[in-house]
Amino acid sequence: MRLLLVEDDDLLGEGVRDFLAADGHRVQWCRTLRETQAVQDEPFDALLVDWQLPDGSGLRWLAQRRARGDRTPALMLTARDRLHERVEGLDSGADDYLVKPFAPEELAARLRAVCRRVGGSASAVRRFGDVSVDLHARRARVGAQAVELTAREWAILEALVLRAGRIVPKAELERLVLGGGEVASNVLEVHVSALRRKLGRRVIETVRGLGYRLEVA
Amino acid sequence: MSTNAPHPPSIRSRLTSALLVWSLLWGLAVGAAIWLAVAHEVDELLDDTLQASAQVLAALAVLGQERRTPEPAVAVKDPPVDRVAWQLVSADGRLLVRSAAAPDEPWHLRPRLGFSDSPGWRLYGRPAGSDGRVLYLGQSLGERREARLEVALSAVLAAIAVGVLGHLWLRRRMDKEMQPLQALAQRLRAWSPETAGHRASALGPAARAELAPVHDALESLAARLASRLANERAFSAHAAHALRTPLAGLDAQLAVALRECPPELRSRLQRIREGAGRLQAVIAALLGLFRAGAESRRTPVALATLMARLPTARLQVHVQTGATVEADADLLAAALANLLDNAQRHGARQVWIDAPAPERLRVRDDGPGVDPQRLRDLQAALAAQQYDGVTGLGLMLADRVARAHGGRLRLPEVERGFAVEIDLGEAAAGCDGPRNDATPPAATAPGDGTDGPAGNHRHSSRPR
Repeated sequence: MRLLLVEDDDLLGEGVRDFLAADGHRVQWCRTLRETQAVQDEPFDALLVDWQLPDGSGLRWLAQRRARGDRTPALMLTARDRLHERVEGLDSGADDYLVKPFAPEELAARLRAVCRRVGGSASAVRRFGDVSVDLHARRARVGAQAVELTAREWAILEALVLRAGRIVPKAELERLVLGGGEVASNVLEVHVSALRRKLGRRVIETVRGLGYRLEVA
Repeated sequence: MSTNAPHPPSIRSRLTSALLVWSLLWGLAVGAAIWLAVAHEVDELLDDTLQASAQVLAALAVLGQERRTPEPAVAVKDPPVDRVAWQLVSADGRLLVRSAAAPDEPWHLRPRLGFSDSPGWRLYGRPAGSDGRVLYLGQSLGERREARLEVALSAVLAAIAVGVLGHLWLRRRMDKEMQPLQALAQRLRAWSPETAGHRASALGPAARAELAPVHDALESLAARLASRLANERAFSAHAAHALRTPLAGLDAQLAVALRECPPELRSRLQRIREGAGRLQAVIAALLGLFRAGAESRRTPVALATLMARLPTARLQVHVQTGATVEADADLLAAALANLLDNAQRHGARQVWIDAPAPERLRVRDDGPGVDPQRLRDLQAALAAQQYDGVTGLGLMLADRVARAHGGRLRLPEVERGFAVEIDLGEAAAGCDGPRNDATPPAATAPGDGTDGPAGNHRHSSRPR
């Protein structure tokens, strides 16, 4: 998944970034709200937001994103553990609330859980016809046969699974998977074609002029 | 207090006014009783005196007509007057005329003028004629005593009656005057520094002038308390952030390092991470206790759910199925985390947790336990809250958590291992002394696939 981490503490931010990166996620780490402005239009699969930031409240920042219609799953990471603060955090738009100190393993598990819920599924394993995708184990199967995917192929498949049933614009998929840097214009199509060869042509639908869609079984 | 606020009535002036009124009423009532008694007696005495005087005058008039002294002395035939009697005695001491109530013998053989006494009589003699005759008017001493007694009795009875009524009335009046004090006590009980907000007055205006200094002192105290609480909250929030974030950073870095490190470093890094976990548990407990007085909230806590989120290191933890206690979940988690850490560091491999009552929690382990003297020392230190040098931080924190709930920590004697009982209710406080408890269930070796005693959930060490 492509994640936005907003955390001012270097020790914690670096640790979380590296832990999640080792799990295969792509983490954009901002230390201040000001830094988030550079990526405010970028698509992310989830947001990890600290409440107390040097230049403002992460909670308020999240509430403002929600007010603009942003439904990206969000986890609040904070030292504030009072009941009314937890309630306030959840009411302000966070999908989950993690009190520091937390184990990064728990963070990763809650991240998966939140994304499953937002994606409309209670299970880490999603099925699309013959194809089953285990988001936790990062494995795909066609029937009983495991399928080997490259990192980028998996990133594309994961992004589509998390948005299953919705059309994902090509530009958004590119930014989610390939980052904001310049890439060859057909890189995405190449990887989508590879996915279709491995999983079956009908799994990923091209909606001409709009984007790609994974149909929910 | 505002100088423009109307002065409240004074307890002293109200009570003294009431007492004054009552005293006046009392005096009037007693005076009225005495007056009635005295008047009755005086009227009787005066009436008798009038009657006796009339008899004397009549007798003298008769004597004057007869021009001789009757022999023997004549008793006047009028009805006797009990309280007043008279005698007319000649100069040589012969009784000439007497009233029916007077004795046959003259009171005095020799003339005695003015007031005098004769046995049983108070007398007054005056000359009656130029021949030396003396007229004695006498009052029975018994009648005098009777008069005094009657007056005194009337006064005493009136005083007692008024006194009893006054006592009852004064009690009711005092109760009424004490109501502002009781109202003040109620307002104090209901006042809370957390909800006081920025209201200018915590207790409202004083209902009585004497209570104004008390109100002022309490208002000042309440303001200081609210200010201190606000400062502590602010400190707590800052301290929490300053402590928790670096701890989270430590754990995250260690988690990454454990993934990336060469195998020979893995064990050491794991121990470091476990140590950091213990540090987290202690800090969480301290932060929780810091604000416990103001913010502890009791809710039903399912022990199995609570234990699932605690690090249990290398312990097998057996939780009684369905066990629930009424407690502040965060404080209880902090206490249990420290007790489990204690158990593990003291060589236990299994821990049993059950809740015999909603306000009581038991934690028992299969470690080596402590010798009886050490157990007594620990019990005494916990009872007196003198932890220094006797208990470790874990027991101290668990005891503070229990006391934050209005209970306390106890260390029952067990046949094997070590046991801690956390009493979480006020009803359990004040019960001292060691309590014997049953042997912990037979320990099963970790990893043998069993769940231990029936009815327990088993938690294995969390993968870190």
